Amino acid sequence: MAQNVLEISHLNVSFSGRTVLKDVCASLPMGGMTVFVGPNGAGKTTLLLSLLGEVPCTGSITFAEGIRSHIGYVPQSLNSETYTPITCSEFLRLSFSRRPLWLGATAAMRSKVEEALDKVGMAGMAGRSLSQLSGGQLHRVLLAGALLGSPRLLLLDEPASGVDMQGEHLFWELLDDLRKKEGISIAMVSHNLHLTAHYATHVLCVHQGSCMQGAPRDVLTAGNLMTIFGIPIHLYPDQCAASQALCPSCGAFADKEDLQYCPAGCTCAHCKTGRSLS
Amino acid sequence: MIAYLCQALGALPLDCLQHGFMQQALLGLLLLAPVSAVLGVEVIHFRMAFFSDAIGHSAFAGVALGLLLACDPRWTMLAFGILVGLGIVALQRRSNISSDMAIGVVFSAVVAFGLAVVSRSHGTARSMQQFLFGDILTIGPDELTFLMALVPVVFVIQAVGFNSMLLVALNPVMARAHGVRTAMWQYLFASLLAVVVIFSVWTVGVLLVTAMLIVPAGCARNISSSLRGMFWWAIAISLFSSFTGLVLSAQPWLSTATGATIVLVSCILFALSTLSRRCLQGRRG
Repeated sequence: MAQNVLEISHLNVSFSGRTVLKDVCASLPMGGMTVFVGPNGAGKTTLLLSLLGEVPCTGSITFAEGIRSHIGYVPQSLNSETYTPITCSEFLRLSFSRRPLWLGATAAMRSKVEEALDKVGMAGMAGRSLSQLSGGQLHRVLLAGALLGSPRLLLLDEPASGVDMQGEHLFWELLDDLRKKEGISIAMVSHNLHLTAHYATHVLCVHQGSCMQGAPRDVLTAGNLMTIFGIPIHLYPDQCAASQALCPSCGAFADKEDLQYCPAGCTCAHCKTGRSLS
Repeated sequence: MIAYLCQALGALPLDCLQHGFMQQALLGLLLLAPVSAVLGVEVIHFRMAFFSDAIGHSAFAGVALGLLLACDPRWTMLAFGILVGLGIVALQRRSNISSDMAIGVVFSAVVAFGLAVVSRSHGTARSMQQFLFGDILTIGPDELTFLMALVPVVFVIQAVGFNSMLLVALNPVMARAHGVRTAMWQYLFASLLAVVVIFSVWTVGVLLVTAMLIVPAGCARNISSSLRGMFWWAIAISLFSSFTGLVLSAQPWLSTATGATIVLVSCILFALSTLSRRCLQGRRG
């Protein structure tokens, strides 16, 4: 248990009679970056929200000592009006200050805000309105807000949604840097498998309510990804020859079962006609 | 205290303020304006303009209850308005129906109930007119005393809960992760808003109560570069609109309903601020 920041045991979540998560057992390593991957509707965000206690569930989630009271959360988005003039400084002060925003900030507060923004590469942006930020910049400010609570576990829900590739890469780099320097355990939902393979130390793959976990190289295999997503995804070239054969008709990747129907009927991922040999 | 304040307002160099009822009306507006402005800022952030409209219209049912129970309708309006506000929040939190649908259903039910009861009672036309259009000029010492108690309560709640309520508006899950009791603040805000809305119904009438809340805040949003600025500008604009609206409405050449004139002044300020914002954006672009 000292090695894990939390343990999930036989977790079940249902909404309106529909099972979203079914007997999920998993553990998140302390100081690691755990990424939840899976197709849309698989239950990744539900799993993340379960860790926050936001969804009713059965089973147990056991946190390591001192973790439960030090959880930071970075949401996917904010419900803010387009032109609401909340500045980055005001938003960050919501995280740590009891002084109402309409009374302004003290010098100590301004200093703390600048330090928090500097940590996420947003130095000098304290006076900028949230509505004026790009998607990547906004997520960095949200991250800064979560970090102000000195979390030991940071939960992020698709923090790079709507962000371009470069911005997303910078964000992951920032998270990895924080993890290594400050020992924060990170759990996040992401659709970016390549960055997950590069940065994650642990992967939870959620599929049809169930979950498999392990090191990225063990979970994000071509075979697993074909089962989960139904399309050929190769993250590790050395796995190609072992797990994927090519359809002799179209040259695309094919399941072993499909190959018995070739060459007369091509039922591989690209051709999919389902005809058997005549 | 009220008499002293009215006397002080009478010292202003305006003929219309030499009458006791005008002094009381101005005092009432000067107390109500900052409260409605501050709550208007939060109504905009919570996207609760329709909610406040529903509370205002629930006053119909409040008046009806007062008639049925032979009570002072002002108190039944207040109590019923708070109940409706809490009921809408409870319905939103505990069901899957959308916010506007929840409000729409409650809105329709309370208006229909109120109209049904009131339509059976003869001689209610006068009170209905006052209810629709408001009449700040009839405000008395009781209402002023209530307002003088309400203003510090509102600002104490703003001092303690402004940040929490804003966090809830931005993202309730994030707010709970920060340790904010979202349910408590949502119910408290709904109750406070109901009180201010019902009181505003007495002054500007149900048709304009939402405008009284959101127009100064909307105007402030156009000219502010921070939330702190928006807060104080909303109060300044609301106070200016209230004062100007009252004075203008009392002029012989205008002689309009006070509530409507106040809202018109704030709407003119809103239009000017919108134009100003667009001009500034055009120059920067």
